[in-house]
Amino acid sequence: MINRNKLYSIILVACFAGYIWLVFSVTKTISEKESTGVCVIKNLTNIPCPSCGTTRSVVSLTKGEFIGALNANPIGYLVAVIMLIAPVWVASDLIRGTKTLYVFYQKIETYLKRPKVAIPLILLVIINWIWNIIKGL
Amino acid sequence: MDAQKVDMFIMSNGKFFESHQMNTIRDGLLAADDSKWAVISSTQFTDPTTSLIISILAGSLGIDRFLIGDTGMGIGKLLTCGGFGIWTIIDWFMIQNATRDKNIQKLHKVL
Repeated sequence: MINRNKLYSIILVACFAGYIWLVFSVTKTISEKESTGVCVIKNLTNIPCPSCGTTRSVVSLTKGEFIGALNANPIGYLVAVIMLIAPVWVASDLIRGTKTLYVFYQKIETYLKRPKVAIPLILLVIINWIWNIIKGL
Repeated sequence: MDAQKVDMFIMSNGKFFESHQMNTIRDGLLAADDSKWAVISSTQFTDPTTSLIISILAGSLGIDRFLIGDTGMGIGKLLTCGGFGIWTIIDWFMIQNATRDKNIQKLHKVL
């Protein structure tokens, strides 16, 4: 198993990169409407990947456009929630010297591995992917 | 456990583990009870080469991480388009060691 400190540093680095990317995208959409593509799949094959549109979704959320966010990509809601909660949780764990997030992470990992949970989630991701392709993100 | 059985296990499963772990694995197996042989010999390990191929082909969807049982990291990669493509490239080089790590954890669970 991955240890606590490694997990926390990965989460913090990911959230930090996410916030920088968010600031970059929010300021960029004001000056020019063209979106910057970082997605490897999209750039190589011109087909959007399951999580394409997440940036647009989170940017819409910051402006309070909830329906626009849902139309861009529902995964944006999940990412926004994780980006809001994870740094606070990590910080509180580090200050108090506990490992509640680490225990929660392991619990959710074993929970998600159960076929009853995994198969519907995989189907949801695939449906979302098909929707992305139809929308032509 | 029988030295012959242990050597047979190491010969057929050597590629699933790091070379520097082989001595510890050998000692652990020799000290283990004979009744565990059936479980140990039937444990399925993930081939590092397979996970590398998956990582190159579908790394930006996080399938490689799901394959080795790292569900949390896999979701992280899936949601962020493979960590903006950077994590995907890092994992091309990390995934083989990560697979071997997972394999040794699997063996430790059985032993």
